[in-house]
Amino acid sequence: MKRDEPDNLDLLAAEYVLGTLVGAARSRFKRQLGRDPFTSRRVRAWEDRFALLALHLAPVAPRAAVWEGISRRIGDSGRASGWRQLAAVLAVVAVLGFGWTIWEQLRPREPQATAVVATEAGVTLWRVAIAADGESLQVETTNDVSYPGDRSRELWALPADAAPVSLGLMPPSGRVQLALDDRQRAALALAANVAVSDEPAGGSPTGAPTGAVLYVAPLART
Amino acid sequence: MAARDETVTDEEVAELIVGCARRDRPVFQRLYERTAPRLLGCLIRILRDRALAEDALQDAFVQVWNRAGQFEAGRGSAWGWLIAIARYRAIDLRRSEGRRPAGTGMPLEDIAADEDSVDTSAFGLGERATRMLSHCMGALQPRQRDSIVLAFQGGLSHAEVATEMGEPLGSVKSWIRRGLVALKRCLES
Repeated sequence: MKRDEPDNLDLLAAEYVLGTLVGAARSRFKRQLGRDPFTSRRVRAWEDRFALLALHLAPVAPRAAVWEGISRRIGDSGRASGWRQLAAVLAVVAVLGFGWTIWEQLRPREPQATAVVATEAGVTLWRVAIAADGESLQVETTNDVSYPGDRSRELWALPADAAPVSLGLMPPSGRVQLALDDRQRAALALAANVAVSDEPAGGSPTGAPTGAVLYVAPLART
Repeated sequence: MAARDETVTDEEVAELIVGCARRDRPVFQRLYERTAPRLLGCLIRILRDRALAEDALQDAFVQVWNRAGQFEAGRGSAWGWLIAIARYRAIDLRRSEGRRPAGTGMPLEDIAADEDSVDTSAFGLGERATRMLSHCMGALQPRQRDSIVLAFQGGLSHAEVATEMGEPLGSVKSWIRRGLVALKRCLES
């Protein structure tokens, strides 16, 4: 019989399924199987015929690690059941929502307005910023600021058509955060400029500037 | 460590494989739970090593998941399809590992006893497949039948069957070949 005769092919298929076809002959047959639907039908028929012989063997329960390995290897390639899918979506939404909230609280925000307090010669002494929420002022010293120890430098809001309102004392160095009350916020809202005056140590005792107004700086709204 | 010996019908297995083709993970897990113990029984017989057989089982189920879309319910039995994937994996593994049977395996008389203990029709593989086993296998000469069963269940080569049976290689080759011809004739009659 020649190899490609149907009867012989059927026997080759049987020996392939059985496992007795080995080595190069097995590899050759496997290649033919991939190409030829007739061959694959013969193989399929023998696989079914012999299946019962396999089912005669006693079953053995696999250890749990086997399923865990399979599950890991197929990864996320399947869809979960409806409830699990919904739970997964909700979990993602919750994480995103939580993340957004945290980000909103922590992200640096643009100040409402800034002012740069500088000498006439153009040397910047302080940078003043009204926080985004309007609740505080940030004052940062940007250069050496020197004044007598018994004096203070006080910051004022200069609202249009109203008296200056004290915002607090300027730091001699570093940076400070000054909390704003309603009156100060209202004054700042109406002010086009801020000013720094020379005052006794601890600030103006009267609530109005008592010394010379040293610097005036425009408020730049952002 | 035998598993509960529950019969899972071919119809159920076919439905589960079709579910896997839809990428349904819970159905895949169900297929595993229903069929893995039977398949592991086959693989241990071929590989004669539990850990290696479990490796083969794992490979086989990954293939089942990936190839479920190629299963056509009308073209053959679902058990046949599953068993084939698992057996080929074990046979390849056994030969690449250069494994040889560690012992004499299951005595032949036990194989015959095993056949009597299982109600073959319960797997729902169809009348023809059942007839093949009970009638056509029974009609073979004993050595033809034994060598075929040994080769199939053990995933053995002719030479290995000869060693296990303690018979000459030439005789085994001829028993298997004549046995297969007789089986084919019996089935097509």
